[in-house]
Amino acid sequence: MTHTSQKSRTGLPAWSALPSAIPSLLEDAPIIVAALAIFYAFVALAHYWLSPVNAHAEISLAPSVLPRYAAYSVLRIAISYAISLLAAILSGYAAAYNPRVERFMIPILDTLQSIPVLSFLPPVMLSMVALFPTRQLGIELGSILLISTGQVWNMAFSFYSSLKSIPREMHEVAEVYRWSRWQKFTQVEMPYATIGLVWNSMMSVAGAWFFLIACEMFVLGDRDLRLPGLGSYLQTAANAGNARAILWGLAVMIGVIVLIDQLVWRPAIAWAEKFKFEQVEAAEPPRSPVLNFLRRSRILPFIANHSTRPAEQRLTLHFARKQAARVSGGNASPARRWFGWIILVAALAGIVYAAVKMFALLLSLTRPELHAIVTGAAATFLRVELALLLAGLWTIPVGLYVGLRPKLSAIAQPIAEIAASVPATALFPILLLMLIRLGGGLGIGSITLLLLGTQWYILFNVIAGAIALPTDLKEVCDTFRFGSYERWRDLLLPGIFPFLITAFVTASGGAWNASIVAEYFHFKGQTFSTVGLGAVISSATDAGNFRVLVAATVVMAAMVVTINRLVWRRLYGLASTRFKLET
Amino acid sequence: MSPTAVEQIRDQIRTGRWQAASDQLRSLTAHAAADLLMLVPFDEQQSLFRKLPPDLAASLVAGFPYFHAYVLLHSMSVEAMRAIVDRMGQAELDHFLDALPEEAWHHLMRELGTGARIEPGAAAVEELGRPAPERLVEPIIQARQVEKSFRQPDGRQIQVIAPLDLSVEPDCVTALLGPSGSGKSTLLRMLSGLTKPTSGAVFWHDVPLTDANPSVAIVFQSFALFPWLTVLDNVEAPLLARALPPFERHRRALRALNSVGLKGFESAYPKELSGGMKQRVGFARALAVEPEVLFMDEPFSALDVLTAENLRGELMELWIAKKIPTRSIFIVTHNIEEAVLLADRIIVLGSNPARIRADFRVPLPQPRDRKSATFVLYVDYIYKVMTQPELELAPPSARERPAKPPIKPLPHTRPGGIAGLLELLLDRGGKEDMYHVSDDLLLEVDDLLPITDAATLLGFAETREGDITITPQGREFAQADIQRRKELFREALLSHPTFLQTIDSALHRKSDHTMPLEFFRDLLDEHFSEHEVQQQIETALNWGRYAEIFTYDPEADALRLHSSESQHSSSEASASAP
Repeated sequence: MTHTSQKSRTGLPAWSALPSAIPSLLEDAPIIVAALAIFYAFVALAHYWLSPVNAHAEISLAPSVLPRYAAYSVLRIAISYAISLLAAILSGYAAAYNPRVERFMIPILDTLQSIPVLSFLPPVMLSMVALFPTRQLGIELGSILLISTGQVWNMAFSFYSSLKSIPREMHEVAEVYRWSRWQKFTQVEMPYATIGLVWNSMMSVAGAWFFLIACEMFVLGDRDLRLPGLGSYLQTAANAGNARAILWGLAVMIGVIVLIDQLVWRPAIAWAEKFKFEQVEAAEPPRSPVLNFLRRSRILPFIANHSTRPAEQRLTLHFARKQAARVSGGNASPARRWFGWIILVAALAGIVYAAVKMFALLLSLTRPELHAIVTGAAATFLRVELALLLAGLWTIPVGLYVGLRPKLSAIAQPIAEIAASVPATALFPILLLMLIRLGGGLGIGSITLLLLGTQWYILFNVIAGAIALPTDLKEVCDTFRFGSYERWRDLLLPGIFPFLITAFVTASGGAWNASIVAEYFHFKGQTFSTVGLGAVISSATDAGNFRVLVAATVVMAAMVVTINRLVWRRLYGLASTRFKLET
Repeated sequence: MSPTAVEQIRDQIRTGRWQAASDQLRSLTAHAAADLLMLVPFDEQQSLFRKLPPDLAASLVAGFPYFHAYVLLHSMSVEAMRAIVDRMGQAELDHFLDALPEEAWHHLMRELGTGARIEPGAAAVEELGRPAPERLVEPIIQARQVEKSFRQPDGRQIQVIAPLDLSVEPDCVTALLGPSGSGKSTLLRMLSGLTKPTSGAVFWHDVPLTDANPSVAIVFQSFALFPWLTVLDNVEAPLLARALPPFERHRRALRALNSVGLKGFESAYPKELSGGMKQRVGFARALAVEPEVLFMDEPFSALDVLTAENLRGELMELWIAKKIPTRSIFIVTHNIEEAVLLADRIIVLGSNPARIRADFRVPLPQPRDRKSATFVLYVDYIYKVMTQPELELAPPSARERPAKPPIKPLPHTRPGGIAGLLELLLDRGGKEDMYHVSDDLLLEVDDLLPITDAATLLGFAETREGDITITPQGREFAQADIQRRKELFREALLSHPTFLQTIDSALHRKSDHTMPLEFFRDLLDEHFSEHEVQQQIETALNWGRYAEIFTYDPEADALRLHSSESQHSSSEASASAP
């Protein structure tokens, strides 16, 4: 790296410093090809976006369109992820450093997190279509923002709590040496938050795949909107009852997910290892062959040395000079403070207005509508708890069995991870096909779907917990000849308790959200649905019944937040105090 | 003491008018004369002291703090020293000798007896012919009446630092000593501009400080290195913030790394380095910015003993050879020996709230020898200051609010620690110097003081003048078996007014002998900070359970009178019922 810059300083053209040997070019070929492919995809997408609205796009079921559809979906998720990341960083930053913002931002994020994606559909879609009435871009943007509404909250939480847990000395170093905000952001805050952001990004994107079907094809009042993509392909195939197409779509989707996992997330996790805030090196850091490949490459550092790195240096210097020139102790100007107050008042007025309107809307609910919502809430509550119970019943023994046997868990853990990353919604058409053949209804089917969505995550948490059980405690059980009952009561269950709670908290929130796709499904030209809050929300979206949609959403958000506060948060506190295994 | 008197006598010293100086001192009482002399730089004191008639010197010795007198005496020949000691009154001499710690006493006796000069004390001072260095320079930092209090969640203010004045002078290593939680670090952060004082102000060269000062650097106990930056990038980061061009950054960072012996480690990451090496990076980062004052917040506390010793030595070498680009060093520590080893000036803080209990100079030459009698003298003196609350040197401030907690706080220690201390005392014949105990138990003063406080509180030991003595009760406790120890501990605990007495009587008054712990927490809340309440509760639980006064039920978060006790009293109750 250093010799590159030296040579260019001696007057030789910068390109002469590029590794010129053919082997190294061959080595870098995959990177170059990938870059070109991404570039082409963006051009194609832009072309399509700017085309006039084609509301009733025909979704082809030919397997040959799948690569193109997959690319559209991946790009959609990628863009919505980028938007989510930006929003998460902005809101997390504001909440962490401004106590006034923190006061209302955290409960708001908590509530929004519990609102299912579909409830965002009408406002997001209508506003986007209104923004770009004549271009496909409007609907596309709507779909992208819709996907974002499922991704952004947990990332914002993660960024916020990372900022909050930065050790005091780190802040003091930045302050005593008078770092600019920018330098603090790039050298302290972002690095510190990276690991949390990577893990939450994985979860967010997994959530995006789960709701892809709902986000790419929807009915809004009298308009039937569909966007070419994997989600709409699967939905169309299900509508047509075309099992072959369903299997093709499913295979491509799983393939894409596994590929992204290997090409993006594994390298990202291994790379993020360097941001681990520990003073000693980990015994066995995560590895990724892809990351090693990228690190060996010579073209990437060359590009970085000539583009991002000088730019970052210049930015930092610029901000440092600005900071040095700043009169110390200068407070915000009165104009800026006034501006802040005006925004605050405007926001408050908006919230009050919206709240009044919402109550007015809720008061106009008819009796049958109210009845449907209440019974639906009860049914979904029972369904979610039953699914969690069933998932726990089989995953705990199996997970412990696997986790206590190192050889077995070395094989089983990656499989469980992949299984957890496959969106259960994609499997749903197949499941329905089987259920219809066997004669079961959606009442049982939806529980099975919720189970499919939650069990894998619980399973690999149990495995991880079992692996983490300290050897000396296991040896105590062996030496004192504990029976299997005592072993379970005194070691295994308390030992995996923190892992189990983490899994159940996530699974519970996920299951509530998943009920909107599990309880209401278009299949073979008909609509299958069962009694449940998710079904109420989905059908209200389809029918454009705004009143019921809002009411049902409020009920769901209230239930999820209440259960979180009353049950899960307490158990979480217990897990992090009494059941914490100190090392 | 009027400044003119000080100026006058300094002028006389500088111009060699010894007779005039003697006359001026003679016109004052011994204590006033000693106080006046204490305001003069130490090398000038020495020069004058050697020229004084022995009888005047003898009366002055009685007026000086004993450790200062000891050091002054040792700046002259043994014969001259003997002449002065001979002229001291019997009462003064006894008082002086009593105050000396064992080593210093032995040393002095040997010198006076043999006449051989065993150890030169302070450096031999040149005859005054050349002008003395100007010592009355203006301080770099001055804190005037700074005070810090924190607001409790319920709105009450808890004062952690009482209003105090403090200055940081150039060409001086200042050590700030104090027990843990005394607000040393807060004071350091106020001086460096990281924290604003609740009232009062900090001045840098007479300019009020509003923000972090541009010319300071801090070395942290936890190193505070960024694990994602290489060693070089860590050192360069503050220079980048100063918008230095890349070449200059690189040059200065490399020079700083070189001076702490880290050449060749530029591209390593902090996690690849040992603790000592990490702190070297911390030093390099601080030195690279060439601060006017180098602040250090317990820089050696996180290192093992040998590494810390090594690093301290290297730091002092750099400082004495003027290879450190700073004008002054300010170090916060709880290690007494470290302070005496490094500092030219030592400030001792008391706690709850922090106030200055002693502020004195250590005129010993560098490098200092831990085993020398003068070194031990200072260590012993600091123990004396820290263990005796009545040895309050700072006058109480007028603005101080009478907020002394009526509940006496429990020292945070375990019964096992108290037993260990008492056993050691028993071994040593019942009485020992504090610094010896600290050496023998390998405890720093921070860990030792709570134990001695607890032993004193329970009447198992007594501390006086830096010595600790076992009491008959303590002797019995140390010799008892486990069960008997618990009984003695319980008796001692309930016969002294502590928080545990309050708990015990409250539990006795309740018919079911059970009280929620929350009740006692609320009680403490009125007097202590949140963190301190937590600690008090922990210690109370620990002692109360050991003494079998009560049991604690974590599910109900409640205390219950110990079963034998409650059965006893309930059977009593039923017996008394008709």
